[in-house]
Amino acid sequence: MAGSAVSLYLDPQIRDWVLFPITLVMILVGVLRHYVMRLLQSPPKKQPKEAIREQRALVQAQILRATAANSPIPPTFYRSISQGLSKGLGDGSYLKEGPSKKDEAPTPPNPLTDPNAMDGMMSGMKTQMVMMVPQMIIMGWINFFFQGFVLIKLPFPLTLGFKSMLQRGIETQDMDVRWVSSLSWYFLNFFGLNGLYRIILGSDNAADATQTMMASPFSAATSSQPGQPQDFNKLFKAEQDNLEFSEGLYNWVAQDVETRILRKYGRKV
Amino acid sequence: DLGWDAVEKTLLAAVDERDYQLAEHALRILVDKFPGSPRVEVLSGIILENKETPTKALAYYNELLKEDSSNAALWRRKAGILRKLGKVDEAVNELCALLDTFYTEIEGWIELGDIYLSCHRYEFALQALSHVLLLAPQNPFHMLHFAETAYLVPDVPLALKVYLQAVDMTDDDDQDGVTPMDTVPSKLVLRAWFGVKLCTNKLITEPKAINSPSQTSPPKTNVLASLDDLATERLRTAYLETTRESPPQGDTALLKELAKILQQV
Repeated sequence: MAGSAVSLYLDPQIRDWVLFPITLVMILVGVLRHYVMRLLQSPPKKQPKEAIREQRALVQAQILRATAANSPIPPTFYRSISQGLSKGLGDGSYLKEGPSKKDEAPTPPNPLTDPNAMDGMMSGMKTQMVMMVPQMIIMGWINFFFQGFVLIKLPFPLTLGFKSMLQRGIETQDMDVRWVSSLSWYFLNFFGLNGLYRIILGSDNAADATQTMMASPFSAATSSQPGQPQDFNKLFKAEQDNLEFSEGLYNWVAQDVETRILRKYGRKV
Repeated sequence: DLGWDAVEKTLLAAVDERDYQLAEHALRILVDKFPGSPRVEVLSGIILENKETPTKALAYYNELLKEDSSNAALWRRKAGILRKLGKVDEAVNELCALLDTFYTEIEGWIELGDIYLSCHRYEFALQALSHVLLLAPQNPFHMLHFAETAYLVPDVPLALKVYLQAVDMTDDDDQDGVTPMDTVPSKLVLRAWFGVKLCTNKLITEPKAINSPSQTSPPKTNVLASLDDLATERLRTAYLETTRESPPQGDTALLKELAKILQQV
């Protein structure tokens, strides 16, 4: 049977009544999704100052360490701040609930029971619902109305494995895999309209398909919203080690400033 | 949409001019547009502070902070009022708690240092200023402030090093082909060299001045002499350029004249 040399002639009405409408519908649904997401998202909850303090405790240590190699402060000051922070991080005085009691070991917050984490997961699930439902509906609609005929010819060749997926409903065994049905046009649009959404809605849009797909396996495990499920105890312990390490490479910027200045002004050292 | 910033500024200006009618008018506009906004709450607190007694404003802030303890601006104003009311202990406690949570508020740290300075607790002021240096290590003004506070502790070797560091931060080698030697010190740099001279003078004339609470070692004798010489030369150059007169001989006279010049700036 003739292979890619034969080219089918498609009714131009297919193009007018299938190609463009599917694309148009998908664009509009995407924009609609974006605005629905925006409405659904509640503003971030206000946190009590203890929670903020806990989150920002690491920042203090990081600022100290950032300039450790050329530190503006003299050694005694650096050491006292470093040791004070290390002690504070270690004995839990920066934790939300205050230092842990002596007998029980500090437990990481359980995501199921911590109410703040629940809110985070709820909003994540809401996002996914909003994404999934329109997809299902559109796919069903396409399957119902637009099946049984070939829509476009793909400009790139594919292997035979794709035939079953892309030529659903068309019972020909020898037709080139490049001729595909409308469902595959749907998939193409699904992945491709990202760029268009970025132009219309700005880069931070909620209609982004790839982001939802990437987020769903991970969002339950390591949600990085306000840090509620994060185990601050472990983070603090790690920061203690970092502080110790930085103390090793600390150097005061004014250590040899006399020689530097004398040299700069042409005096003999 | 862009005018709301201006309304806020008008409010603050009106409070400065004690025109409370205009201030309250501006406040009403803002409250209508942004109900429940924390920024607007702070502004109404400011009006309260100046129009009514500070104590009433303090009660107002306390109430608001009970509902929403994370509002940094409100907390700051509360600490400010406590200082104004003279309750220095409480002000210091509030400020310390605020800075422990919101570490990066540089102005908060400077204010804390200022409070300590006003109580002549120079060591604590120095500690507060060390955080300022950590947060803004490139700013020579803070370095100078640190040096001046160190001198007051008194910790002369530390002050000397930090004054020199302030100088080091502000003169670039061969900027536009002009070597540092050929520049005339002015403003910040002049203050820094003045500080250097004060320190070297003290270290040379008073043996007890090498005592350093921060255990900073003073420079060796020859280095000290060179630095003293250099500082004197810099100050004399500055004096010559500003007054077009021959600078006075002798350290004390030179320092006195330069103090006058610095105070005029």
